Amino acid sequence: MIIDMHMHIEEVPSLGWKMSADDCIRAMDAAGVDRAAVMTLTDLPGLNPTGLELIADACASHPDRLYGFIRLNPAYLHLSKDLLRQATTDLGFKGLKLHPVSTLQHPGAPPTIELVRLAGELGVPTLFHCGDEPMTTPLSIAQTAAACPDSIIILGHMGGYFHVDEALEVAEKHANIVLETSAMPYPEKIRTAVERIGAERVIFGSDGPVSSPSLERQKVVIADLGETSAALVMGGNAEVLLGLAA
Amino acid sequence: MIVDGLVYLGTSHFGYELDASSALARMDGVGTDISLAVPVHPSGGNFSSVNDAVIDAAQHSAGRLIPLARVDPWNGEGAVVELRRAVLAGARGLFLHPSEEHFRANDIRVRPIVECAAELGVPVTVAAGFHLFAEGLQLGYAAEWTPDNAFVLTNGGQFNISGLGQFDAELALLNPNVHVQTSGIYREDFLERVVATFGPERLIFATAAPMFEMSYERKRVDLAHFSEAERQLILGGNSARIFGIEKEGWQS
Repeated sequence: MIIDMHMHIEEVPSLGWKMSADDCIRAMDAAGVDRAAVMTLTDLPGLNPTGLELIADACASHPDRLYGFIRLNPAYLHLSKDLLRQATTDLGFKGLKLHPVSTLQHPGAPPTIELVRLAGELGVPTLFHCGDEPMTTPLSIAQTAAACPDSIIILGHMGGYFHVDEALEVAEKHANIVLETSAMPYPEKIRTAVERIGAERVIFGSDGPVSSPSLERQKVVIADLGETSAALVMGGNAEVLLGLAA
Repeated sequence: MIVDGLVYLGTSHFGYELDASSALARMDGVGTDISLAVPVHPSGGNFSSVNDAVIDAAQHSAGRLIPLARVDPWNGEGAVVELRRAVLAGARGLFLHPSEEHFRANDIRVRPIVECAAELGVPVTVAAGFHLFAEGLQLGYAAEWTPDNAFVLTNGGQFNISGLGQFDAELALLNPNVHVQTSGIYREDFLERVVATFGPERLIFATAAPMFEMSYERKRVDLAHFSEAERQLILGGNSARIFGIEKEGWQS
């Protein structure tokens, strides 16, 4: 079972963005990916008021292939908490997505911590954009990890281009951090991650469909993890995080 | 003919290293015929020494390594003198690394060096995408100084894990002399858009090894949706044309 834990669906004509569920499915099929976590590129509430329905409809149209993450802005805390409860409880969403660049919300600030704690209470992980920009670095998101020990926090892109070593360090320090492989350009760092924090805390993602799941999958192949670890990274761990494991 | 547009040779002040024999072995492993080779940042700042080392490695590589000269603009007129010396010794282009040498790509100190490269008839390659030092629009600005000389930007002209640098990189590409390399660029749609918007002549395969992994960087081009003719230009034809690389059976 191959599961891509980071794909996007969006429709915002004013930004020229249109990535459909079918685009994701085509990219998944080309890459041999069975299932994917999908989320918008915009936050709720925000530019695309129909973002929740967009993801819900995509998942309903492709049962057993697409699983929703709701992307929220912690600045609208009460509304975001309501939306998170609705998405997970009523619509079957499997996770929360936060992007501090687009929300301008620091991961260590109270609204984010409160929202991430709620995600933990609801039993779903939180996927952060974790790259090189201020407020998205591993040390920034480690503030959340420390404050929310009962919530699983996924570092999407595992530190980007220049913060991968810091991602490894904070993952060693905080047991609730999981590293996700998309976009980050160094295959050997995936192997290092498996060696330092264990294969159970590393997951495959592509950031597709605008980046290639086929290419991103090759990065894990080049990392040469061995059969058991590769199976966990490529899908076994995601099955647990998505609540699909038997 | 497969040409890798950028490999770094030597032991860098910043801790990474690749020697010529290892580079050639890795090239063999991924099917690369020729690489453009640049020196790393030397501990102690002696750029003449590392330029000579790369030129010497190239001279012993049976034509498989093409040397570019690296200079530090903070050396003032000395950088221009070093560029002239290195080109006379065999360097086929100028390489600038604004981040590692800590200068802004469009700083006025850079202009005489870039103009000297144009006068000498050698292309300019710049390590691109580093915040504060080598941003897309800074690089486009510098490219305007010598509009008739090829200006090659590593890393697609950008580094950003959200793709936020793409917009400025595409503005830089409005300069007809600007070309971008594929190294480190995870956004397949950006690579494909460069070809669709600016033409396949503007995109250049490069691995930037050892910063990035050769076999994975090659797959960025192999797996993207290019025609065979486009792919041939990207994988070698463009570097051959820009740097005047000729090989038996290959028409640049």
